[in-house]
Amino acid sequence: MSNTIKYWKGEEELVRDPKFLDARKNEFSEALPLDEVFNDTGLELNSNRRDFLKFFGFSVTAVALAACYRTPVRKAVPYLVKPENITPGVANYYSSTCGACSVGCGLEVKVREGRPIRVDGNPRSPISLGGLCASGQGSIASLYDTERLANPLVNGEEVTDWANVDDAIIKQLTAINAAGEKIVLLTSSIHGPTSLKAIDDFKTKFTNTEHVTYDAVSYSAIIEANQSDFNKSAIPSYIFDKAEVVVSFGADFLGTWISPVEYTKAFVKTRIPSKDRAMSMHIQFESNLSLTGTNADHRFPIQASKEGLYLASLYNHIAIKTGGKQIGIAQAGEVAGNGIAKAGDALLASKGKSIVICGSNDLVCQKLTNGINMMLGNYGSTIDLNNHSNQFKGTDKAVDNVLAGLQSGKVGAVIFYNTNPAYNMNAKAWEAGIKKTKLSVSFSTSKDETAALCQYVCPDHHYLESWDDAEPKAGQYHFTQPTISPVFNTRQAQVSLITWAGTLPQLEQDPFAGKGILAQKHHTSPYYSYLKSNWAGKLGENVEVAFNKCLHDGVWIAPATELTAPSYSGDVTALAGEIATGKSNGTDLILYTSVAMRDGSQANNPWLQELPDPVSKVCWDNYVAISKAFAASKGIEDGDTVNVKAGSITLNNVPVLVQPGIANGTAAIALGYGRTMAGKVGGNVNSGFETVGVNAFPLVAMKGGNRSYTISGVEITKGEESYHLAQTQTHHSIEGRDLVREATYADWKNNPKAGNEKAHTHVYTIWEKREYLKDGSPNHRWAMAIDLNACTGCAACVVSCSLENNVPVVGRDEVRLRREMHWIRIDRYYSFTNTSKDIDGNFVTREKEIKSLDKTQSENGAYSHWENVKVVHQPMMCQHCSQAPCESVCPVLATTHSSEGLNQMTYNRCIGTKYCGNNCPYKVRRFNWFRFNDNDKFDFHYNNPLGKMVINPDVTVRTRGVMEKCSFCVQRIQEGKLKAKRDGASPQDVKVETACQRACPANAIVFGDMHNPESEISKLYKNERGFTVLEELNVQSSILYLTKIRNTQTV
Amino acid sequence: MIYDSIIREQLVTGGKTAADVTRDISRPILNKPSMAWKVGFTFAVIFLGIFGLSLFWTLWTGIGVWNINKSVMWGWDITNFVFWVGIGHAGTLISAILLLFRQKWRMSINRSAEAMTIFAVICAAMFPVFHMGRVWVGYWALPLPNAFGSLWVNFNSPLLWDVFAISTYFSVSLLFWYIGLIPDIATIRDKVKGKYEKFWYRFFSMGWTGGTRTWARYELISLILAGLSTPLVLSVHTIVSTDFATSIVPGWHTTIFPPYFVAGAIFSGFGMVATLLVVARKVMNYENYITIGHLDAMCKIIMLTGSLVGIAYLTEFFIAQYSGVEYEQYAFKNRAFGPYWWAYWSMMFCNLVSPQVFWFKWARTTPWFIFIMSIVVNVGMWFERFVIIVTSLHRDYLPSSWVMYSGSLTEVGLFLGTFGIFFTCFFLFAKFLPVINMAEIKSIIRNRE
Repeated sequence: MSNTIKYWKGEEELVRDPKFLDARKNEFSEALPLDEVFNDTGLELNSNRRDFLKFFGFSVTAVALAACYRTPVRKAVPYLVKPENITPGVANYYSSTCGACSVGCGLEVKVREGRPIRVDGNPRSPISLGGLCASGQGSIASLYDTERLANPLVNGEEVTDWANVDDAIIKQLTAINAAGEKIVLLTSSIHGPTSLKAIDDFKTKFTNTEHVTYDAVSYSAIIEANQSDFNKSAIPSYIFDKAEVVVSFGADFLGTWISPVEYTKAFVKTRIPSKDRAMSMHIQFESNLSLTGTNADHRFPIQASKEGLYLASLYNHIAIKTGGKQIGIAQAGEVAGNGIAKAGDALLASKGKSIVICGSNDLVCQKLTNGINMMLGNYGSTIDLNNHSNQFKGTDKAVDNVLAGLQSGKVGAVIFYNTNPAYNMNAKAWEAGIKKTKLSVSFSTSKDETAALCQYVCPDHHYLESWDDAEPKAGQYHFTQPTISPVFNTRQAQVSLITWAGTLPQLEQDPFAGKGILAQKHHTSPYYSYLKSNWAGKLGENVEVAFNKCLHDGVWIAPATELTAPSYSGDVTALAGEIATGKSNGTDLILYTSVAMRDGSQANNPWLQELPDPVSKVCWDNYVAISKAFAASKGIEDGDTVNVKAGSITLNNVPVLVQPGIANGTAAIALGYGRTMAGKVGGNVNSGFETVGVNAFPLVAMKGGNRSYTISGVEITKGEESYHLAQTQTHHSIEGRDLVREATYADWKNNPKAGNEKAHTHVYTIWEKREYLKDGSPNHRWAMAIDLNACTGCAACVVSCSLENNVPVVGRDEVRLRREMHWIRIDRYYSFTNTSKDIDGNFVTREKEIKSLDKTQSENGAYSHWENVKVVHQPMMCQHCSQAPCESVCPVLATTHSSEGLNQMTYNRCIGTKYCGNNCPYKVRRFNWFRFNDNDKFDFHYNNPLGKMVINPDVTVRTRGVMEKCSFCVQRIQEGKLKAKRDGASPQDVKVETACQRACPANAIVFGDMHNPESEISKLYKNERGFTVLEELNVQSSILYLTKIRNTQTV
Repeated sequence: MIYDSIIREQLVTGGKTAADVTRDISRPILNKPSMAWKVGFTFAVIFLGIFGLSLFWTLWTGIGVWNINKSVMWGWDITNFVFWVGIGHAGTLISAILLLFRQKWRMSINRSAEAMTIFAVICAAMFPVFHMGRVWVGYWALPLPNAFGSLWVNFNSPLLWDVFAISTYFSVSLLFWYIGLIPDIATIRDKVKGKYEKFWYRFFSMGWTGGTRTWARYELISLILAGLSTPLVLSVHTIVSTDFATSIVPGWHTTIFPPYFVAGAIFSGFGMVATLLVVARKVMNYENYITIGHLDAMCKIIMLTGSLVGIAYLTEFFIAQYSGVEYEQYAFKNRAFGPYWWAYWSMMFCNLVSPQVFWFKWARTTPWFIFIMSIVVNVGMWFERFVIIVTSLHRDYLPSSWVMYSGSLTEVGLFLGTFGIFFTCFFLFAKFLPVINMAEIKSIIRNRE
């Protein structure tokens, strides 16, 4: 029986009040205070007393539940469709070409899981020959620079659609071209045939286009001199390995001059003393102390403005002996120590097997140099104009014409590719000029000084994202292939050009499209097709195979033209009137490029900013280098600043450094600093990031149509401020200690042990010999040898090591506190001559003796001992001592010895007592004073996810509070061992190259297994030149140094 | 009846009776704190706050807030460590060695000297602990069984020896001090009125009854602990010195370090005791207990140990020259004539030259002068450690790595802050515990009824 009785709950229900019936449809009879809860004010805790328990209960439950949850397990997700060739944990290597500068070194790019993590020289490339400079090594960081432009800019605003940008630009270009106005394409030196074809396409479409080449640091005087003397506008190839005598007038050919890696590789071949070939001699006349000057056998400081006079004197000296016509100069120039005569005699003795070069961008000097080389018969032997260099092609006159055209309003459109004249020329003039054009476009990868002035910025790819080719030297083709998909919405500049020219080829069809397979990013750039079709005719029948081989090798070398002497039409004697004899008023100021910063285009690269200058050991700033004599006369000391007045331009309060070796009457300042719109590392005045150093480009003067980097009559006065330069080495003399051993070549010929006799043979130990040191031990025994005669101190190894081992950048303030983290450093010691005349006299190295010399020299004010310094470079890193003092003192065994001779550091065991660092006699241990990653105080590449892409996954990123140091690249050793094991090779065949060794352009570093008697290292350990540093401590270092041999006595 | 010498000076003057002793010495504990105590305590707590801030900043940011660098990896931190450990030496020497030698004059000062030892060791321990880059895993330096695999400590490392030496020294000193306190705590227990005070003093007096059997055991344990402590006086600073002596740093690698460090430690320890007692006897009216005779005896020890240290300085120089090792020779020449010459000559003046004034009786018996001298001694000993640590490291083997070093604000803050720890502890000690051993002192007063 069902109950049908209905109970009413209120009168409203009984009478069926329509209001009630309406309300009954709602679940809640009253309106819920949802607005109150969900609006913004509701977010504040707007609760009353009664809510307390609710909130309390909720919070406790929530916290309890949250606490129950386990830490999320982060899973590595395997590839669903494994890309071909990518094996997690295994690196791929691709050939490419360095785009850091226009030198075009062939590269080998190391790619891990799809991201390039380091670049090395490609041994097949005749330019890099397997080495790579510091600047090239560091250029990979620019790929992962967060301050690259992510999208094209239109009037400073980011837009994401390239098509709209293209339409607008094409429309304007067409209009400008139709109106008959000039279109200027201002590029850096471009030598890639396909890039040049793209430019030609552009010129064909827009017929009023003028392509002007502009090098920030110009070599146009060489080109112009060759044009007038040999009717060939090019820089020749210098064949240093054939030269017995090299005389350089201010050319820093081992550091920054033209193609330093190639020159170093070749030159070093002649520098290793051996029974088979005579050692070459290197004489350097220079004003500033360059890296090359520090390596010279004889170095003569000269006042820069007298360079022409000295070259003419050298010419005359040779002319007299060979019966040639002399130049009629008023006074014969000779340097202290009769350097000109000595150099002339040495050159004559090696006629046809010598090289004379001049680093000055002065037409007269270059013509004189050509004349000397011609007279010596070096053309066709050591200097090759047939297979010339294309690396620098810019002519300064043309660039000046562009500026004049811009200023007069004759130029309708200007396109900047890889050039930044608003930084490295007269900024104001270019700004006004660009404003006058109807269309201004920049291909800059970041919003640099020039790009900021342009209407459109069409950001170019980084070279590691690009397809390209290059012809740095006639017939020596290099190829660039992308090693990563474009990181940002950028487009290769050449693609932009051919897009506008309308010659963009169709994209190659994706062979997997529509087949249900995940689309492979297969040659997604149309430029690939363009590039390949451009090579189609040149590589024989099977283009596909031949082109792939070119990409694989990275280079394709056309048969070289025969080496012949060119016909000479110059007349050096006619130059007599033009040779500057040197002014006596004011100081000569040398504007040079530093090894780290070069022309400043990589100013936003923290590794390069923190790379200490090979000579001065200053990083994070440029400075005015002055001579001791000048400093003493003006009362200037290190830590002061100076005001530099050159013509109408004044630089105020520039940091100053008293630089040994710099010629009296000369000062020097590096170009490439003082960027105002580089980024947070290199300075961006708009975002409040201080500039790094000062911009010296405005000081560059025009002289005879070429930009001159030697400014005469500069007034230097003491500035008001003081400034603490960040230097990684502050004591510069070796204090007579037996740390670097050296001998002269003549002595070495008599006794290969010359300079190395002091071996401490009476070393006793109470300890048992380590197992791996015993003969016949089954393990490896890793060891290294460094040839001090080969090492030029170029610092490529420093950057290479930092890249390989994830060494953090710490910034200027930390370097000032002496806390740079570099695992390898290059110690540089000066020694001072104690006689004013004889530059080969006795050298003093003790602080006290130098001071007493200063005292005697202060009377005549010449301080010639500061001018004539001898320099040694000594790479220093963990010596992997077999009886390591660091190991015994660690309370927790965080640093121990491996059975293969490695001193290994266990980061996650380290508690940071730092005793090991104190007890290390070589002071190579580095402590993580802070957490250097993800720390806003160290906002370099370790502070953002993109920058961290460059981290080597094989090496731990160290945390705060632990010690670190050189590991002999243990990850590479492990890789080598695993590879040998996998290949079934014998342990003796394990091939390991450390990162520093791999980068070294001088082949100075050799690493290997001492238990393999056939290995290079085992042979080097038998070399009479070998010694270990601080041998008397009996720490049994695993790094052998080979004595430095100077070829001084034959002059 | 104990024989009293008529000729010898009285150890306690003023004709104190046993009741006087109890009343005088327990007065600060039973009364409200004086104004001087309040002011002093406030200053001490302010300095303690400085320590807290500096430590927080160091731990939060990293050791990088100090100025130590790639070559000088120990600076103010380890200087302060050795400085404070040194100061901690006088306590044990006075209570243990002088007890064994039956030097009864020690009875008036041993309690405060021992307290000073404990507080100084606490201050010292701050530095080796917090100078670690990763202090949160600092316990790895202890040989604890662990789950990290076969990881174990390195018994070759002098830093590990330090861990044992300091912790042993601290625990024995603390025990010795506390055992000595028990009869006095019991006396206080019987006098205090408050409920909580009574509870705590009762708790810490461990049921002391004052029975003959209890006294017999008390004296026995004191003797045993004194015997245990005696080698510690020599061992602690010997071990600390091996932190340096076993290394290969020129200027550290010296076999003379153990005796030289021990002498220096006693020297600085007595310096600190003198500083404290000259003030305390005046402020707390204990001139009759801590007499001029005590000050005289301490000055003699200061002079003796200062001269010993001075001889060590000169010996080091001689040996460096005699060794023929250029690095060693340079290290010592650099100390005296290098960029840190001022630190070296401050050390020489304060430690070798200035204590020679104690040949004069006036100097040994004039409290204000002793106070000044005791400060000079401690400044000198701080400089000694700074000279040894910093001037050896800043220029060692490779001139390329030669650097200069000066402490950062945080490092100075930590050092000043340890004085905060030290004096906060000392003021609390003076307020809540008898600073002179009442029980023992009663055995040397004449009027024992």
